[in-house]
Amino acid sequence: MAKEQAVNLASTTSVGAAHALPAQRRIAWLDAIQASLSPWQLVATAMFVGAMLRIWRLDELGYNSDEAVYAGQAAAFVNDANISPYFPLVRAHPMLFQFTLAMTFHYGVTDIVGRLVSVLFGVATLLLVFLVGRTLYDAWTGAVATLLLALMPYHVVVSRQVLLDGPMTFFATLTLLLIAKYAATHSSRWLWAAAAGMGMTFLAKETGIVLVASVYAFLALCMSIPIRLRDVIISSFILATVVISFPVSLLLAGGGASEKAQGYLVWQLLRKPNHIWSFYPSTVPIAMGVLVVAAAVTGLWFLRRQHSWRENLLLAWIAVPVIFFQLWPVKGFQYLLPTAPCVVLLASRALRHWSLPAYPSGWRQVVSRVFPAITVTVLALSLAAPAWSRVETVPSDRLLAGSGGMPGGRESGDWIRQYVPEGAVFLCIGPSMANVVQFYGHRKAYGLSVSPNPLTRNPSYDPILNADRSIRTGEVQYLVYDVYSASRSAHFGDRILDFAERYHGTIVHVAYVTITDENGARQRTPVIIIFEVRP
Amino acid sequence: MIGRRLSLAVLISLVLGFLPAPAATVARQKDDETAPATPIEHFIVLMQENHSFDNYFGTYPGADGFPEGACVPVDPDDPSNTDCIEPFHLEGGQSADLDHTRETHELQYNHGKMDGFVAALNARNQDGRLAMGYYDDRELAYYWNVADEYVLFDKFFTSAHGGSVENHMYWIAGQPGNPDGRIPEQGYGNSVLTIFDRLEEAGISWKFYIQNYDSDLTFRTVANAKSNRAAQVIWCPLLNFPRFIDDPKLFQHIVPLDEYYDDLDNGTLPAVSFMVPSGASEHPPGSIFAGQRFVQTLIHELMRSSAWDSSAFMWTYDDWGGWYDHVPPPPVDEFGYGFRAPALLVSPYAKRGHVDSTVLDFTSFLKFIEENWGLPPLSTRDAAANNFLSAFDFDQEPREAAFLSWDRQAVVRPEPNRLVLYVTYSSVMVVSLFLIGIAIPRSLTRSGRRRNALGGREE
Repeated sequence: MAKEQAVNLASTTSVGAAHALPAQRRIAWLDAIQASLSPWQLVATAMFVGAMLRIWRLDELGYNSDEAVYAGQAAAFVNDANISPYFPLVRAHPMLFQFTLAMTFHYGVTDIVGRLVSVLFGVATLLLVFLVGRTLYDAWTGAVATLLLALMPYHVVVSRQVLLDGPMTFFATLTLLLIAKYAATHSSRWLWAAAAGMGMTFLAKETGIVLVASVYAFLALCMSIPIRLRDVIISSFILATVVISFPVSLLLAGGGASEKAQGYLVWQLLRKPNHIWSFYPSTVPIAMGVLVVAAAVTGLWFLRRQHSWRENLLLAWIAVPVIFFQLWPVKGFQYLLPTAPCVVLLASRALRHWSLPAYPSGWRQVVSRVFPAITVTVLALSLAAPAWSRVETVPSDRLLAGSGGMPGGRESGDWIRQYVPEGAVFLCIGPSMANVVQFYGHRKAYGLSVSPNPLTRNPSYDPILNADRSIRTGEVQYLVYDVYSASRSAHFGDRILDFAERYHGTIVHVAYVTITDENGARQRTPVIIIFEVRP
Repeated sequence: MIGRRLSLAVLISLVLGFLPAPAATVARQKDDETAPATPIEHFIVLMQENHSFDNYFGTYPGADGFPEGACVPVDPDDPSNTDCIEPFHLEGGQSADLDHTRETHELQYNHGKMDGFVAALNARNQDGRLAMGYYDDRELAYYWNVADEYVLFDKFFTSAHGGSVENHMYWIAGQPGNPDGRIPEQGYGNSVLTIFDRLEEAGISWKFYIQNYDSDLTFRTVANAKSNRAAQVIWCPLLNFPRFIDDPKLFQHIVPLDEYYDDLDNGTLPAVSFMVPSGASEHPPGSIFAGQRFVQTLIHELMRSSAWDSSAFMWTYDDWGGWYDHVPPPPVDEFGYGFRAPALLVSPYAKRGHVDSTVLDFTSFLKFIEENWGLPPLSTRDAAANNFLSAFDFDQEPREAAFLSWDRQAVVRPEPNRLVLYVTYSSVMVVSLFLIGIAIPRSLTRSGRRRNALGGREE
């Protein structure tokens, strides 16, 4: 333990020494600026900017399907009369976030409040990243990492939405901090606390449990970090107690909750692949920032001589989820978010070590002394630009799950609520649009693409067994065609249009977005069309 | 690409007629109409076929249904025969077509004793027990839901103790038309006035909508019609009036039912609409489910049209169909009343879940139209008929349209106990945060020591 601490302190002081200059030739104004700066200032600025990015035009677009589902679950938690009939309380996931959300929904279900809760978790994660960085390296490394995460489009976009991944990343980062504290101090209490943190990560989203393997891999790789059997037993007990509260609560709650959750679990395990193998490599590095990822990787290579348990911890925290989700057939854009804090920490570590030769005087000295600030600024700007474009809500007629709100969805739902008689039934291309119709429209909606085979469909969705018959018998009175679902499933999109033509379809509502086409021209494009049909 | 495809779809939709005609181009018909006395600017009445009140609503709570111990003797003329048939539930929504002629009515009525329902059918070589069959919300879920939400009339009598011809004539003219209950060979003369003559004279818009309408089929051609199409001239009596057939101005008011949907879309629904079905009439052995879906569609389309806020939709049944009904019809003249038929009202001004017991018959529709639009009565019958204004509450704000389901009871899903979930998640959060919390002071102490070791410098 003493040896590890010594290494820690030595590396910290050596980093500081790399930037030291001979006292007799120092430039006064630069010294003054440098002296006035503190990591906390950067952290505060990063958190402010990060918060602004996450709040900016937060309510511009309505919920997408996943957001509608989680907000709907939270609404069911507080038994909201308008929404709870359409959203079952229990689904596949544990409900720590929905429970938190429900606390705010006691005063009414509003989009902005739901998203603000997510933003709160996101901004709190920034602070945790700073603490992790300070624990592993030094305060400046933590502060720069905080800035990078604050501006990272991946984290910005996901933590603006009512998704489980933002809160899960918060708890995962908290666990990372606690593990780092344990590794640094070898105090048992940190390990116990880390077990509790890991349990809460699971309760935020069950896939967080894969990070247990990260902890195992880390401890297995770093034999220098002692771990006592007693601590393993106590930590395992704490983790198991927190984790098991999910199935036990379902069992005690009754109402078929346990069976439903089991059904979801089976379905999740048997789901077919929804993306090709290159999905993560082609989307996540871009969303994280190519320069940031490159900085992290090159830092690992060039600083390999300084490789220690710290990098092992961060790498384990990245590698296990990446390998797991790369192998797992079901892929989601936001699934790798818990790795983002580790990537920025590694990138920040690399930046802290990149420096120019020290010059005794003149402009070269100025350049060499401001070089770290320049590299940080370049990386920050490389993140800020795409992050800003994402929060500026550029409308699109394409939608990637987990990447943002659904243009036109809320407006269509509001229209439905206002103009469509209560009790009307909708048929959409798929369950995504159906979720949005149900959440905002407060009307029953089916997804045509929902399989009638109970083994291959999400248990929370009711299939429509014979859509043609349901329209002919008047059980379905409205059809919804949306470009987002149609781009994923042209077959079912075409069937909706066929039904509209066959059953006297009359367009009663169209939601438009203005997009910029390949030639740079702005076009008003319909994205959601609602047809009224009758036998 | 999808966007462009959809733009094209919208364009095609316009061409195919998915989009309703622009409101500005639709000639508004009501500018020159007489203003109605009530908020009801659109009155729609549908005549379905062949069911008695007890057959549909005999077990409906709160209505005048089967009396306790109801049991109709198999042979009312033989006091020694104590066999009787109690009302029983009919399953499946379809049954045989029971005899419902004027003679059968007389036998079933049995001089006001109301005990000939079984024997009359037995005498017609039918299974008389069938008369005692009834449906309930297992088959009539939609109608019962309508009754729960709107108005059900339980003293609504058919106008004549006969079959379709006389009753349909009462519906439009307040008289049987021909005392023998048959359509005259030369059709009805100009002496038989109808409500449509009155409406035409007053310049009030009207239409007679016919499902699966064949405009070539009138009283002149009915002899050549296939038997199942001949009903068109009975159910739409206007097709038995030479003046309505030969005058294009009047004939254009008799239209296919599809025009009802177009009129709703275009905002051109007339002030008064009469409508008759075809295959969805519920006339045994036809399916009563098909009838309910038909009525449901008519109501749904009205509800999502601009006419809803000022409309009243009613439907009833042209005769009792041979089925048992326990209420003796009050005698009003040599033709009626006949046995009760179900009748329901759907309107934004209808009282909610109201069972209206005003004595009514088909001429009450005429009465309402006459009073609403200030028209003189057609006959002594409609002049003396009761109106059904008691079913409305015009002081209330127009009710929002609401589609009713086919579920009789709200689907109760077993719900997990929320308190258990609240307690669990609260406890877990508190315990976890406690475990994390107790590590922090220790950490602070350690880092304090370390700062001291470094001479007060922070890391």
